[in-house]
Amino acid sequence: MKQAVILAAGEGQRLRPFTVTKPKVTLSIAGKPILSYVIESLAQNGIRNIVLVVGYRKEQVFDYIGSGEQFGVSITYITQERRLGTAHALAQAKGVTENEFLVLPGDNLIEADTIAQFMAVKPNAVLVKRVDNPVRYGVVTIRNKIVQDIVEKPEEAKSNMINTGVYAFTTEIFNFVEAELDIPHVLNNMIAQGYPIKAQEASGAWLDVVYPWDILSLNEAVLHQIPANLGGTIETGVSLKGEVAVGKGTVIRSNSYVAGPVVIGNGCDIGPSVCILPATSIGDNVVISPFSNIENSVIGNDVSIGPGCSIQDSVIDKGCVIKGHFMALSDQAEVRVGDEHCLVNVGAMLGEGCSLGNSVVAQPGVIVGNYSQVQALKLISGRLPDRSLVF
Amino acid sequence: MCGIVGYIGERQAQPILLNSLKRLEYRGYDSCGIAVSNSGIEVYKDAVRVVELEKALSWLDGTVGIGHTRWATHGGPSRVNAHPHCDCAGNIAVAHNGIINNFQLLRQQLINEGHIFVSETDTEIIPHLIEKYYQGSLEDAVEAALGDMEGSYAITVLMAGEPKLVAARKDNPLIIGVGDRENFIASDVPAILEYTNRVIYLEDNDIVVVTPYSVKVKRDGTEVDGEAHKILWSVEQAQKGGYEHFMLKEIHEQPKVIRDTLVEYTQTAEPLVDLEMMRDIGVESMLMLACGTSYHAALIGKYIAEELVSIPVRAELAPEFNYYGQTLAKTMAIVITQSGETADTLKAIKRLKEAGCQVLAITNVVGSSASRIADQIIYTRAGPEISVAATKSFMAQLVVLYWLVMSYSKVDARRLASMLLDLRQLPNKVQQVLDNTGKISEVAKYLARYEDVFFIGRGINFPVALEGALKLKEISYIHAEGYAAGELKHGPFALLSDDTPVIAIVAQDNTYEAMLTNIKEVKARRSPVIALTEEDEAIDEIADLVITVPQVNAVFSPMVNTVALQLLAYYIAKERDCSIDTPRNLAKSVTVE
Repeated sequence: MKQAVILAAGEGQRLRPFTVTKPKVTLSIAGKPILSYVIESLAQNGIRNIVLVVGYRKEQVFDYIGSGEQFGVSITYITQERRLGTAHALAQAKGVTENEFLVLPGDNLIEADTIAQFMAVKPNAVLVKRVDNPVRYGVVTIRNKIVQDIVEKPEEAKSNMINTGVYAFTTEIFNFVEAELDIPHVLNNMIAQGYPIKAQEASGAWLDVVYPWDILSLNEAVLHQIPANLGGTIETGVSLKGEVAVGKGTVIRSNSYVAGPVVIGNGCDIGPSVCILPATSIGDNVVISPFSNIENSVIGNDVSIGPGCSIQDSVIDKGCVIKGHFMALSDQAEVRVGDEHCLVNVGAMLGEGCSLGNSVVAQPGVIVGNYSQVQALKLISGRLPDRSLVF
Repeated sequence: MCGIVGYIGERQAQPILLNSLKRLEYRGYDSCGIAVSNSGIEVYKDAVRVVELEKALSWLDGTVGIGHTRWATHGGPSRVNAHPHCDCAGNIAVAHNGIINNFQLLRQQLINEGHIFVSETDTEIIPHLIEKYYQGSLEDAVEAALGDMEGSYAITVLMAGEPKLVAARKDNPLIIGVGDRENFIASDVPAILEYTNRVIYLEDNDIVVVTPYSVKVKRDGTEVDGEAHKILWSVEQAQKGGYEHFMLKEIHEQPKVIRDTLVEYTQTAEPLVDLEMMRDIGVESMLMLACGTSYHAALIGKYIAEELVSIPVRAELAPEFNYYGQTLAKTMAIVITQSGETADTLKAIKRLKEAGCQVLAITNVVGSSASRIADQIIYTRAGPEISVAATKSFMAQLVVLYWLVMSYSKVDARRLASMLLDLRQLPNKVQQVLDNTGKISEVAKYLARYEDVFFIGRGINFPVALEGALKLKEISYIHAEGYAAGELKHGPFALLSDDTPVIAIVAQDNTYEAMLTNIKEVKARRSPVIALTEEDEAIDEIADLVITVPQVNAVFSPMVNTVALQLLAYYIAKERDCSIDTPRNLAKSVTVE
């Protein structure tokens, strides 16, 4: 097997505001879009012919992935004009695939070893994963390593095996995809017609991003695999503990304390006296002013953080300008996403380009829409739509 | 401009030559051709695109050959005028870029000596001169021929029975690509990047003998080793990566270009240029010189330099400057050229140097002619720009100019820090423009049916109006004019009617009130007004259509506004079905005066 089709056309509505201007597959995890980890895992297994089905905000995918040369792969882009489902997305790739190929979602983290194990199974096959709480996924019933059926988001799960959305197919699949919109339905139809679909259990990590705070768990998982690497300038009196990666052109000023795993991008200006705790990712061109401390958070490109801020379990998207003494401390919070109410430990989720005045306090679980402006000394809570003005 | 390629090695030359020629298409051309040597020389050429040539071409067997894309100067586009050109016996083939000033005289002499010419080109004298001087050594014959010629050239020469290529340059670009048991010659790096990333840049008057296994450079009468540079950008960057056009891809690369430039320059302890030296020579004024889009960067540079450095700054068009009587000593001259090969700009640098000025060149091409003759160089980090219409290179020039002026200025540290913060926000502000193209494409659909469009701006956004008009005219072929808004009433008003939409660039600075007045004046002439502005209710009321851009410090508004106008030009050209990446009559790098 030498080819993979990656489905990268999805929007990810539950991840708003982060997916208003970018597709789910380009959410930044440890300084790189999720999709790039999928491509890297494939390249490590010698799969270098990659078909990317793009749609929603496809330009962002082009900008990050380009022709694929930086990953040592060659990319063919296929556009899914209307987002009707995974089977419809796969159907767009008809005519450009080889006889056997993998299909993967572009927004899940999957280890290279898991792909290697799965490649040993001949098509048609689906990669499944054992999880504790399967009801939010497609639950797979398996007998003698053969799939019996797949039930999407069941009220009651018949097993704790879920569909990872990773498949091995032959071109035969194109005879079935056009009748349905989603791949699990296609598989159920094939099973009904007597086609055996093999199930292979994933032993390694497989992580999905569904809710905004999932970005933090993915980030932590990836950070643990990034080795220390010091580019830029580390001034005297800086303490670096654990695995800390610092990009070129970045300055970390005196008396700062950085405890890995931490990744800091290129061209940042950090400190003096800044505390960065595990597991934090900081993008390119970021300024963090004195006496701020940041823990278990993802900070996007071009963000500026003023003096004396405390940021925990938070995602600050690119281009936010935060003045001094912003408090975004983590605690248990009930957060509404669509119709769901989730109970999570989380700080603040800030969309891109937000501007916060001095001494803004974020109630745990606040989700702030893109380009919002908050005046000094305000308490923000709940969910603020894009371009909110808090006066 | 014309493009040259050459190949010598163990593979068949024809597919490599054609492929390399395709990668030079961005330079603009009207005809093309190749010559391949085996026992004799076979030439195939025509006034067609490379793909058409490829279709019509039968197999030319041979592992050594040259190719050419021609942009007509002496003699119109036709099969006979296309290169390569041959001598009387058809044993010598030459591809040439440049202009030979004394070709009429040489041609007459050669005709008197019995040589037979078939084309109207200046180039055709070269193979005949080489034929005349050939006495067993091709390189000696080439050297003798060049001795007779006055003008500019980059040439590559192929001769039947000689297992080598001879190349030479003067005032025109030429590089050697160093491969493994094969070597390449090209006008520009992208032509050969698919085959090798090791490149030797040639100097003026170099003569080079290239075999599959060696590159011998003859410089100032002695043989030197050409230093091979490793090219860090890749073919990937020279491909479209999902986008329909290079121009759109390059527009979308701008946030990254700004960020890369900032990372490269703002965070280093090393000064951008040796400013102390500039101060030591007692610089009393600045001169910014450029052509085309780079000139608009220079005009914006003038505004910010006068604002922040408080010394007089002249911004001049290089082709005009070359006819001025005098230059100023004690001037810090900043010369801006994307390609580093713009003929007028190079000539201006030479004049400035002769006058004793310190010359700082801002260019995007490492090893280009400008980078070699200027006193100091700042490279923009835009990467290769393929689309003829400059976009990301302009942005990179602006960021470099802003940072240069900011570091040279004596404004207090707090203001500088605050400006730097604004500069750091720019990638994201530009990305916001790119993420919200709905309104821009709506306006583009509206404007695409007009044949005349005016752009007006004031202050630091006047050059943006010029640039917006230039982008529109070069890729959509709509007649577009950029004016200082206050100048409209001194003439252009006579042209305004409901057939002439006016695009008004409104900045939230001290020009705001005056722009509002100008818009009302234009409306009174029934011209449709399209405003480009930050969110503003007063503008919403008077303009017919509004393109909203993100809020930025007005000093940095040219960057954000320019991106919106680039997209507008792109979508209008797309609406009109134009050849966006290679507009008619235009070339990427203008290497003739």
